[in-house]
Amino acid sequence: MDFFELTSEPISIESVARRVVPPECGATVTLDGYARKFTKNKETGEVRETLYLVYEAYEEMALKELSKLIDQAHQKYEIANVGIVHRTRRLEIGETSVVISVAAPHRRAAFEACEWLIKELKRTVPIWKKEVYADGENWVEGETTHSPLPPSQS
Amino acid sequence: MLFFGATADAAGQRSVEMPVKSGIEARSVFNEVLNKFPQLQHHKLLFAVNQEYVSGDRTIGDGDELAIFTAVSGG
Repeated sequence: MDFFELTSEPISIESVARRVVPPECGATVTLDGYARKFTKNKETGEVRETLYLVYEAYEEMALKELSKLIDQAHQKYEIANVGIVHRTRRLEIGETSVVISVAAPHRRAAFEACEWLIKELKRTVPIWKKEVYADGENWVEGETTHSPLPPSQS
Repeated sequence: MLFFGATADAAGQRSVEMPVKSGIEARSVFNEVLNKFPQLQHHKLLFAVNQEYVSGDRTIGDGDELAIFTAVSGG
């Protein structure tokens, strides 16, 4: 069974990984994404120390987008089950923000699908990360290839 | 119209009711919001109607849920 969830509670990586395992599979690849302490500003190169993170989700839409990603992953890769759980609200440094587990008959497809899923999740699923520093805070703005609306010429 | 993260901060609120003519294009409604909250114009924005990414010519009807947000940064 595939599954996708948002939670404001700590995520148990093992329980996500075990939930995707079916008998006909040989490998599960699990990504544990977690909150990083130091972040580098891509434009200025400045490194800042993050105290903690806050994730906010457009929950209804995030769940729809996760469901679509899993469907697409099944079309692209020979995989059995996918589980994705993403944290919301406040996270301390080192806490898991996202877990993606992909079970497949053979490991190569599981690795490839897991990499594809995290890349697409970061591009399309409406969840935002705020980094809180000693002296301020910043909503991180991602890169996206979704074309924004062209502004009307008025 | 819903705001999240940076757009909620920029608008100073999490949602706003927008009276619109039925059948109006999404582009017009989103531009109206940008005029109402000019701080939003400092961001690269994405738009959704009823929890789906949309293009500008999508028509808006009564009760549709619109959202405006910055490029996503989950993971």
